Amino acid sequence: MTCTASSLQGAIKEPVASLFRTYETHPTVAYSRLFGGIQAILVTDQRYCRNQKTLFAKMRFTICAAKPEDCKDIERMIMELAVYEKMPDQVKISHKELERDGFGPNPYYQCLVAEVPEELMSKDGHTKVGYALFFYTYSTWKGRTVYMEDLYVMPEYRSKGIGKALMATVAKVAKEQHCVRLQFSVLDWNKPSLDFYLAKGAEDLTAKEGWHFLRFHGIALDNLAQEAP
Amino acid sequence: MANFILRKAEPKDVSDILRLIKELAKFEEMEDQVILTEKDLLEDGFGDHPFYHCIVAEVPKHHQSADGHVIIGFAMYYFTYDPWIGKLLYLEDFYVMKEYRGMNVTLCICESSNCQIYETPSCNTLFLLLKLGFGIGSEILKKLSQTAVRTRCSSMHFIVAEWNKPSIEFYKRRGASDLSLEEGWRLFKIDKQNLLKMTDEE
Repeated sequence: MTCTASSLQGAIKEPVASLFRTYETHPTVAYSRLFGGIQAILVTDQRYCRNQKTLFAKMRFTICAAKPEDCKDIERMIMELAVYEKMPDQVKISHKELERDGFGPNPYYQCLVAEVPEELMSKDGHTKVGYALFFYTYSTWKGRTVYMEDLYVMPEYRSKGIGKALMATVAKVAKEQHCVRLQFSVLDWNKPSLDFYLAKGAEDLTAKEGWHFLRFHGIALDNLAQEAP
Repeated sequence: MANFILRKAEPKDVSDILRLIKELAKFEEMEDQVILTEKDLLEDGFGDHPFYHCIVAEVPKHHQSADGHVIIGFAMYYFTYDPWIGKLLYLEDFYVMKEYRGMNVTLCICESSNCQIYETPSCNTLFLLLKLGFGIGSEILKKLSQTAVRTRCSSMHFIVAEWNKPSIEFYKRRGASDLSLEEGWRLFKIDKQNLLKMTDEE
């Protein structure tokens, strides 16, 4: 079925017209608001051909090792992920701790950042749109492993290969360091993430082998440290 | 009560550490999954970039194990990072050989003619001897938590198999919380084969 934007605009009226205006200046924003049949309007209308490459080709982005100046963006995205995981009040550190702990002489984590070109920046003006935070761990059975603590892509940049690229880069680093395994944890209700990882060959060790995460936190840790002999 | 010391592991301890790793894996019913060698442990723990830290529990020679070992417990840990709270101490393995653990109950049926331990006038007297453990597990845990506090870690994390009730009780008695139950976290892995597939796709 072919149609032109003008022929449909009459039917769908003002909201679509305003979307088109938005689309010319912020193609990504318009795309993220459109679903199903409305996409057809953009494909066939010749006025928007020049933007097709941006929308329908693979999104252009780069994955790089984070730099100290990225910590403010990483802090922002950490909070976005915490909000998604329904635990924003548990975030206690800021970009200052991230800078100190990730870029000192003894880094406690590694971080990759996904960046889009300026013409694809988010509606809030951000070009850093995703990150993966990981570190090296050790399995007494297998040796060197990588633990991926966070993997996050801003909602409007999802389904464009960025998450996959971030994870593949973590896998590449793991391979270079002779690590035999990548581990991470997912909340049991987080179906989109569970599906994403299972499709890549991930195995749920909590289901398969019964592993549970435990912790000594805050006061419990202090009490343990002070226990009389 | 017998004494013991806790000290930082040294390169010479790697064969004992591997022995204890295999014993713990046997207890977890996954002995065949240990592919690590002494050479790996040496390189990964005592090279330029240590991937782990280890403390060992050592008893004096007169308390050596039935097989003649004096290194009878260990804990392996490393530092991880939580983007919400910062540095963490992650406890990877924690094990004390069975004969040096908790409460050992020794049943002694004593007849006056052959009782070597106590002199008793009566025959067929049942003695219940409670041999208390050395407290090694508790001391290791305390030392780890002190290390965590000293190095500004907000938390100490670890995993336990849900069927391992004695261990879960041990930790919960001391104030640990189960994040898998409380918050729904599930542990995942992607093994080498699938990792390589991901890098090839890129």
